Amino acid sequence: MTQQELQHLFWRAGFGVHPKKLKSISKNRTEAVADLFKDSKAFSPLTIDLSYLDGISSIDLKNYPELAKEINQKGAKKILDLNYAWVKRLINPTELLRERMTLFWANHFVCRERNPLYAQQYNNTLRYFALGDFRGFVKAVSKEAAMLRYLNGKQNRKNRPNENFARELMELFTLGEGQYSEKDIKESARAFTGYNHDFEGGFIHRESQRDNESKVFLNRIGKYDGDDIIDIILDDKKCARFISDKIYRYFVNPTPNKKYIEAMTDVFFKDYNIENLMRFVFLSDWFYKEENIGSKIKSPVDYLVGMINTVPIQFEKEKDVLRIQKILGQTLLDAPNVAGWKGDKSWIDANTIMVRLKLPSTLLNNALISTGENRELSKKALYKNKGKLPFKTTADWTAFLENFASATTKNLEEYLIQGTIYSGTLDYLKTMNTSSKKEYCIQLMSLPEYQMC
Amino acid sequence: MYSTNVFTGISNVLIMDRRKFIKNSALASSLFFVPKFVKAFESIASERLGYKRLVIIQLGGGNDGLNTIIPHNNDLYYKARPKLAITKNIIKLNDDLGFHPSLGPLRALYDNGELSIINNVGYPNPVRSHFRSMDIWQTASNSDQYLQSGWLGRFLDQHGKKPYNAIEMDEQLSLAMKGEHFNGIATNDYKVLYNTSKDPYFKKVLDHYNDAHLSEHNLGYLYQTMIEAKSSANYIFENTKVQASQTTYPQNRFAKQLKNVSQFINSDLDTKVFYTSLNGFDTHANQNNRQTKLLSQYAEGVAAFVEDLKSNGTFKDTLLLTFSEFGRRVKQNAANGTDHGSANNVFVIGKNLKQAGFYNNLSSLSDLDKNGDLKYSVDFRSVYATILSQWMDVSSEGIIPSKQELLKFI
Repeated sequence: MTQQELQHLFWRAGFGVHPKKLKSISKNRTEAVADLFKDSKAFSPLTIDLSYLDGISSIDLKNYPELAKEINQKGAKKILDLNYAWVKRLINPTELLRERMTLFWANHFVCRERNPLYAQQYNNTLRYFALGDFRGFVKAVSKEAAMLRYLNGKQNRKNRPNENFARELMELFTLGEGQYSEKDIKESARAFTGYNHDFEGGFIHRESQRDNESKVFLNRIGKYDGDDIIDIILDDKKCARFISDKIYRYFVNPTPNKKYIEAMTDVFFKDYNIENLMRFVFLSDWFYKEENIGSKIKSPVDYLVGMINTVPIQFEKEKDVLRIQKILGQTLLDAPNVAGWKGDKSWIDANTIMVRLKLPSTLLNNALISTGENRELSKKALYKNKGKLPFKTTADWTAFLENFASATTKNLEEYLIQGTIYSGTLDYLKTMNTSSKKEYCIQLMSLPEYQMC
Repeated sequence: MYSTNVFTGISNVLIMDRRKFIKNSALASSLFFVPKFVKAFESIASERLGYKRLVIIQLGGGNDGLNTIIPHNNDLYYKARPKLAITKNIIKLNDDLGFHPSLGPLRALYDNGELSIINNVGYPNPVRSHFRSMDIWQTASNSDQYLQSGWLGRFLDQHGKKPYNAIEMDEQLSLAMKGEHFNGIATNDYKVLYNTSKDPYFKKVLDHYNDAHLSEHNLGYLYQTMIEAKSSANYIFENTKVQASQTTYPQNRFAKQLKNVSQFINSDLDTKVFYTSLNGFDTHANQNNRQTKLLSQYAEGVAAFVEDLKSNGTFKDTLLLTFSEFGRRVKQNAANGTDHGSANNVFVIGKNLKQAGFYNNLSSLSDLDKNGDLKYSVDFRSVYATILSQWMDVSSEGIIPSKQELLKFI
């Protein structure tokens, strides 16, 4: 594999790669891909300290409103802790591909949960199944406390069905809009009745609330339960196609290609094994086509984590990590609604583009992007508030210089920019004084081209 | 470039003629006698003459509508809220309803017929999650429908030309302001935005490009957006007249937002929509202190804002819409607060309202839904649709996804 192909693989399967790491990766595609999967075999759950919940029961919360209030307030803080822990995990993952897949699934099986215990459990279910059996995955999601709360599954009872989950199961999680009727929604909602969870987040089935009568669903009839419904959905190849299309647009190219998506669908439909599907994608020649390299706009999380992978950054205040996610438009654990973030072009508008372009210099270099002249003017043009930098950070340039030791300043752009650079910008870059690797790194990171991966 | 200039030149001449024509002609009110060629330019003329603006005020957290507009003559109200009902200093507006004591500064607007209070605004199958209900209000969706664009964003999709046609006075842009293809701009300090965009490095990078060069591909889109952002920041900075306001605003974040909005409006910025917000209304416990403080901030801020606009002659072309994601439960809870409810009141403020004062009666306090919340009688989307068609002068088709009847408040 060429350097660019390897970087492409690591931008899609991870969050970029620096020259030092590149050296340790096999240049043989089969081997490099095999290693990616091998390194993600293990499953390391993401956990935060939730000991404040020890010994507390649901009855306590009912009986003592003051306690409930306190627990709620602590919970809100813990959700932030979970956010920071997740960002840290992405920066320093034990299983790289598994983490990338987890991030992908979090924007597929979208769920917003403010109870940190359920949120953590849900996040780990995504992580556990990230490369596993899609069938088991959907069934597990349907029984998660967080999902039962988010899409009103626990309010779904015999003779009083709530259709919210059944609708999104088909529209957003498995088949896509228009592949089923309103009747299918009504009937399948009945199959998920009686689903509930206990205080610790474990799944329970309330027999008395369960509808055991026959249901007519996607032209079949039977006394189906929720798992049966999911099996019937997955029997339809449209489901394999819907997921393959989404994976293609996320991992390969935002512009879909019917032929390749069909090939993926054939692979996925065989056994709904996510690992097999991803292996097929990363081993395909078309994955490495030039039109795919650098074709994606980095999500805010890709952008931040990728930047930190190049130059390690310490944040003085954890809150700033949250604030950056907010102003860039993607706060983990806080998607806008069950449809998730639209991604691609929608990340970028007149607000976010300027923040993005100015962010690397702000985090890494006192907000200064050197132009070789007009230094005074540059200093005036800081993304500052009342003369203060918006974030307090320490950048580890020593680590950068070590990780990029094998790169010359001149070929730094081959490592930092995926895809093409516009010719006018390239001409301008040629005029730069490249005596400082650090300054040139900042300059490259402040280009629109750096937004792509 | 050249031909556009020529065109605007001509149309300006015609607009001037039409203005004079109206002024000097006794027949001005009758379109019968207006020559055809003048009518052809009428849409342009009206755009220039009566540039209508909309200011949104979002009360985040779910404001308790029943303690905002108080049914002071209703026993059920006092029974449901033994400790929380407001009993003193209610500003009675009629035999049934009155203002919370904090809303004193709005009394004059009510008396002048510049405030219309629409009661029981909501939607079918109300959701009691802040997050989700706000989402519904911002996207104008049904409660079982998830839209990825906001109603004002879709207005921009159809009628916007530049990001600064809609400005949110905050660091981040709300979903309401995001369209399918077009977004408004968010800035809590336009000078920071301007300074960022002025970075000499970005200028050098952009020196090599103009719109015409750029492809529709993602990278081209990034450059285009960068150019757009720079020109928007430039436009706002250069056209905003920095002059000491005659009006004294209270010292708080919300008032500062409104003060900035008035600065933009009074500078005649080409901005149709402004988005502001005041948060903290989620009063589950010890509601009275908090709500008293927040409603004061709201009323004092709005009163100063209206006064400021009036003294600059811009109030007549500005409409304010205040909403919250839901109202609160009729019955108070054990912690002297209220839990999440459903239908709530909406305030519309402006000159020449068709129906000022109370637009409708408060829903019955004895006929509540199964959660013990007020039943809605006005769909919030019909409020939006009315504003779009009667104020912004555009069709709500493609902006409001469901068919809505028009109301008669403007």
